[in-house]
Amino acid sequence: MKRRKDRLWPVLGTVCLLCTALLLLGFGWALKDTWAPSPGLVLPSPTQAAPQQGSQWTSLPEIKAIAIGDSLTRGVGDVAGKGYVEDSLAQLSESLGKPVRLNGNLAVSGLEAAELDDKLDGKAMQDAVAGADLVLLTIGGNDLFRSSQQAGGSIAEGGGVDPDLAERRLPATEERLKAVFTKLRALNPSVRIAYVSLYNPFYELAQLRAPIASILADWNGYAAHLAEADGNIVVVPTVDLFQSQSARYLSSDHFHPNEAGYARIAVRVAQALN
Amino acid sequence: MRRDLELIRNETVKVWKKKRFAVIVLILLALVPVFVYAQMKIAQSSQGKYEDWRAELRQRIADNTNALTSDRIPEEWKKWRVALVQQLQYYLDRDVNPNTPNAVRFTNTFLQNAVGLFIPLMVLAVASDIVSSERSGGTIKMLLTRPVRRWRILASKLVTLTMYVSLILVTTAAVSYLVSGLVFGYGGWREPVFVGFRLNGSDMDTTGVHAITQGAYMLMQLGLVWFSAMTVAVIAFMVSVLVRSTAASLVTMMAAVISGSILANMASSWHSAKYLFNVNLDLSVYLQGSPPPIEGMTLGFSLAVLAIWSLAAIGVSFAVFTRQDILA
Repeated sequence: MKRRKDRLWPVLGTVCLLCTALLLLGFGWALKDTWAPSPGLVLPSPTQAAPQQGSQWTSLPEIKAIAIGDSLTRGVGDVAGKGYVEDSLAQLSESLGKPVRLNGNLAVSGLEAAELDDKLDGKAMQDAVAGADLVLLTIGGNDLFRSSQQAGGSIAEGGGVDPDLAERRLPATEERLKAVFTKLRALNPSVRIAYVSLYNPFYELAQLRAPIASILADWNGYAAHLAEADGNIVVVPTVDLFQSQSARYLSSDHFHPNEAGYARIAVRVAQALN
Repeated sequence: MRRDLELIRNETVKVWKKKRFAVIVLILLALVPVFVYAQMKIAQSSQGKYEDWRAELRQRIADNTNALTSDRIPEEWKKWRVALVQQLQYYLDRDVNPNTPNAVRFTNTFLQNAVGLFIPLMVLAVASDIVSSERSGGTIKMLLTRPVRRWRILASKLVTLTMYVSLILVTTAAVSYLVSGLVFGYGGWREPVFVGFRLNGSDMDTTGVHAITQGAYMLMQLGLVWFSAMTVAVIAFMVSVLVRSTAASLVTMMAAVISGSILANMASSWHSAKYLFNVNLDLSVYLQGSPPPIEGMTLGFSLAVLAIWSLAAIGVSFAVFTRQDILA
């Protein structure tokens, strides 16, 4: 008993002392590193993912898809937050008879074409596009409608959406769309792109119906023209989906689709791709 | 000097005999597996969902960016998320995986989450009755009848407390490392972590960012955690001198620590709360580069606040203990 007690103190004392010394060292190091940092580790420089070469969908065991763009791709307005992306990929997988994997829904609510254009210069987005076989894309709605909305207006009543302003913005926004398509193509020469075109959320507002319709016709036509020139881009029309009984397919914000609306878009996207 | 060493030895063995440290080790052995299991479940649920960690990280960045666009989330959350998004982006741009599963990473995350409540609580198990138990047990008279000045006795208790705080922290890290290693593997010491993120308003300043190994990060974090644990210990020490009952001193300290963690979550607009010690306990936020609980807090500021509180607590302890009448 006596001997055990005798051994306790030397061991315990030494261990405690060592622990204290170790922690003091760590504390001092943390202060030094915060206020007088040394250069730090040298890391290997990041490699850019190489775009996949000449991949025919039929020869691939699995289709890798990414979704980019704005709130429509995000699924805003859908109570479950799903949107069209998952459903359309599931339907596509069924009709292709092979798995389609969603490698990320990178859409950001409120994104404008110019911002997407900038994002495509970042490494994260470039890697994502380079590694994909399919890109689902929505863009342009915020440029044309949200940004031409005057402060204070409620979008439900078409509040302050100014068709003239939207029309003035049209050429610049179309240039941005072209830049986005060009960048996507440069990043990945073989990727299939499905661009979900714009619908008219203000169809039920008589004073906006005609002017917005003509803007949309111009925009969607321009997108189709770009797609034609590229050859591997499909433009998925949605204008007709939200014309009759738009209230059934729009969510409570009267701007984004609801679940039923997204379900209809999903069917269209899947059909357009196979 | 010899006599001081004898006193410290006496105190250290006394605490050991009270089996406090054994209880702490048991608590750790019971709780750490729970956290490891939870972490394993998280890892499993995201496994197979993404092609690689880059895809997962991209999705996380996109999800957090989307949360930022909502008007309904409070301003502080936004700041926190902006910092997170920019950090994750930094990792992604440099092709460094911030979430490799290994025991070192787990231990670092565990320490980071434990610094606010769990570690103070364990420290309190030793600190809150180191003096008061002598009085409630009546042994203080035996202690004070020795031919030793009172302040020397108190100083020996303070040294003992310091040693136990260190022991508790190293044990916590060791248990966490050893248990989580069974699941996640014992590697990861040399993996890079980025430190030096500075928050500049709502923007992240990355000019000072540099990579260190995870092992170095763990040591630094342990050092910072040690400093805040020592502050809690010293203040508990003072309360233990002032309050006769161990239960009262434990409850007082627990209330202080818990209210600190609540305040840190809600006091962002009450700026003078930053002078309270309990809001400053989480020093690891500065290492991580996430926004501090209250704007304007920096590592230097928090260290200064904690140091002033600690020194004041030590001053009060000694002043009271040397003058106190010992009745009963």
